[in-house]
Amino acid sequence: MDDNTSQAHRGELTSFWQKHRFFLLVSAAIVAALSLVTISLVIYNLSGSAQLDLSRPGYQAVSDQVTRNDSIDEYSASGDVTLTTIDEFLRLYDEQATKAKAVDAFNGDPLNPELLEFSSAASE
Amino acid sequence: MKYRVLLVGLSLVIAIVALFVGIRSASAQTTLTDEQRSLIRTNCISIKNTINQLKVSDALLRVNRGQVYESMRSKLMDRFNARLASKDLDNRGVVVVTGSYNSALDDFRTHYVDYERQLTATIRIDCTQDPDSFHASILQAREKRAIVNQDVTRLHQLIDDYRNAAADFRLNFERVSGGGAS
Repeated sequence: MDDNTSQAHRGELTSFWQKHRFFLLVSAAIVAALSLVTISLVIYNLSGSAQLDLSRPGYQAVSDQVTRNDSIDEYSASGDVTLTTIDEFLRLYDEQATKAKAVDAFNGDPLNPELLEFSSAASE
Repeated sequence: MKYRVLLVGLSLVIAIVALFVGIRSASAQTTLTDEQRSLIRTNCISIKNTINQLKVSDALLRVNRGQVYESMRSKLMDRFNARLASKDLDNRGVVVVTGSYNSALDDFRTHYVDYERQLTATIRIDCTQDPDSFHASILQAREKRAIVNQDVTRLHQLIDDYRNAAADFRLNFERVSGGGAS
């Protein structure tokens, strides 16, 4: 009697899975996709890529101001080493070093509380 | 034995006093007057707007400067080092500076991420409700921005150091080879 009941129960369960297998497949696919998206977003945020992504909302205004070509001429990694080739490298290097050092980035003190929070300009 | 116990006890007292003084000075830095709190509450939106504009302009600066510093390394330093190595020439001087430059570039990246996260956290604080935390967060962001600026200064210094190392290599090369090809 008990065997019959459990067999009937198993049969119901099997027919339930068979009836809803398409729905289950779609649900499993959605769960897998959500998990992968979550993992990707965590990696995106933790790796520091988010901080360099100027396509984020709020950054579109400046995204077109990104320098696409850094205009630095490459020096060949192969070839002879002579005084002429070394001088050529030094000339190229000096040119690029001047450009690289032209901007003292992140200088100044824009977050000084006296200017940012407590000045008369802030209260305007 | 008695002397040792006395020494340990004295060290403990000094440590506790130092900790207490440290906490006091840290809290003193972030203590606001009522007037300042009121100013922050009143100007909350405009302060947040200013921080947001700074965040956007600094992000652009980070991307553009990062590209320049990265290219200096990959298009010039690494290639010159490789060229010298391919001819079995002594490139230790330039390689050492390149190593320091790489580490400074890593610091620049890491410290910028810290700074950006601090700015984001600051903007999220409700300055009308909690002006003290908001102020403290701005002070932290200010310190982190100063660290990024120090990284930039260090990178500029290393760019000069590399130039000097390359010039030294040239001098040695001239002395050893008499200016001939290698």
